[in-house]
Parts: sequence; structure tokens; C-alpha cells
Amino acid sequence: MPDEVRRFDEVAEGDVFNLTKDPVTTRQLVMYAGASGDYNRIHYDQPFAIEAGLGGVIAHGMLTMGFAGQAVTTWAGPGALVRDISGRFLTPVRPGDSVRFDGHVTRKFEAGGQRCCELEVTGHVEDKQVFAGGAVVALAR
Amino acid sequence: MEIDRSLIGSVGEPFTVEVEKGAIAKFAAAIGDPNPVFHDLEEARAQGYPGIIAPPTFPVSFNPPEEPVWTRDLDRRRILAGEQSFHYERPIVAGDVLTCRTHFIDVQDKEGRSGRMELLLQEVRGRDGDGALVFTHRKTTIYRAAKGRG
Repeated sequence: MPDEVRRFDEVAEGDVFNLTKDPVTTRQLVMYAGASGDYNRIHYDQPFAIEAGLGGVIAHGMLTMGFAGQAVTTWAGPGALVRDISGRFLTPVRPGDSVRFDGHVTRKFEAGGQRCCELEVTGHVEDKQVFAGGAVVALAR
Repeated sequence: MEIDRSLIGSVGEPFTVEVEKGAIAKFAAAIGDPNPVFHDLEEARAQGYPGIIAPPTFPVSFNPPEEPVWTRDLDRRRILAGEQSFHYERPIVAGDVLTCRTHFIDVQDKEGRSGRMELLLQEVRGRDGDGALVFTHRKTTIYRAAKGRG
């Protein structure tokens, strides 16, 4: 939970942060299907997902990116604005997988009166990379 | 059914999204993100936001009532999410009424580890009541080749 404002002057390029999520559950995939409106059965219907050649249900890629968003907004802290966030999915995440996100500051810059940090974020399940992404956030101070 | 490339450049019918605080809270709960700015108005205001804000991937839930013609007949089992990006002019706030349109940008061919695939590039652009652009959601959808083909 962010409670301290992150100050631009105190951020350095190369600063790191991380977030480890609880293991994904099939229940969570049903919750995410409802919340996102993505009812593709590959995310909760095991026979359907196997028939589709996926070896079982897989998490929504956008759920994984939602976790990355949490890592970014938690680091950026109160009052920050997300200007850009992007990501791609390298390997499916499955129920039982705990995803660890590692981020670092790649650039600091000021634009349009905003104090911005460019971030790179990766997601791993154990040693396997599942996500690669980035973000630009404008800090509150 | 393959993607109909003659429709590249098409724009879907506009659809309106009323951003509800309950929808934001459920979305954050599904992610498992306890940040109070996604459900607590007083806390969000104390942090300087005009209201409860949405998580940065929230526009993924903005689905048109009818799928655009270029994705309507695709085989769900062959669809996977590819690269996604969101650009914000300002945060999405509970109470926003956004008018969204889906733009069919391009189709690209790719040879992946699991065979041939098509990459479908689309953008959803959302504007507020004044017509000001709020967000752009650019998404690549992976459409795997049918079994025994390609």
C-alpha cells in the first residue's frame, strides 16, 4: 500500500522495485473474466482449454499486466499519474503460478510541467519470464 | 475464418461507457490490488485525484455492445492477447462518461514457435463529454492459424 509520496528529486536512474503476487487461482480468473468482460473459456473451462491445445486453463494476459500496473502504481505512490503503460506476454501464466515483478527506473525527464520516470518491468514465474513491459509515470512531487 | 484485411482502416460504432465506482472496485479486487484510490473517495481526493481513479489497465473492460465486424466471426480458441499499451492524457475517474471507438489499424503475419499466426492491431480511443481524448488503448491480438493449415 503506498503511503509515502515519492519525490522526483530522490529518484535515481537504476532504482529498483519489486512485487510478488500470491499464486493465481481459478477463482481469480473467474473474477477477472467478470470484471474485464473477457469470457473466453480458455481462462476457466478446463476441457475447452485442453481442446484448444493450451494444456489447460491459462490466466488472462491482461490480468498479468494488471499485476504489473499494481507494481508500477505502488512504486509511484500517492498522487502519481500513469501516462503510459505497456506490456507483452511471453509465456502463459497458469493457476498456481506466483508472478514476481521486477522494475527499475530507466530514465527521468520533465515534460509539460510533469516530473516523469520511465520504468521497465519484467514478470517471472520462478526462472521463466512471462511478461515484459514498461511505463511512464508522472510523480506527485 | 481468417481476418478480413479489406476492413483495415475501419472504425467501429461509437459506444458509451459510464465509469462506475463498483466496476472499478471489482476490477481492482480481481487483480488483488488493495490500493485505496480504487475504492475510497476520501483517500483518492486526499491524494489529489478528482475522485476514485481506475487502475491503468481498466479500459480493457470497455467492450462495445457488438463486436466490430472484423473480429465478430473469429474462432475464440485461436485468440491470444499480444502486446498491449495504454496512453493517458489524464486518469480515468469514477463518474466519467467516455465515448469510445475501436480503430482497425493493421494485420501482420508472423511465424511463431507454434506455427503461423496473424497479429491484429487495434486501437480503442476514449473521449470525455467535451470531446477531449482521455486514453488510447493499443492492442495486438494474436490469431493462431487453424490446426492442419499454414
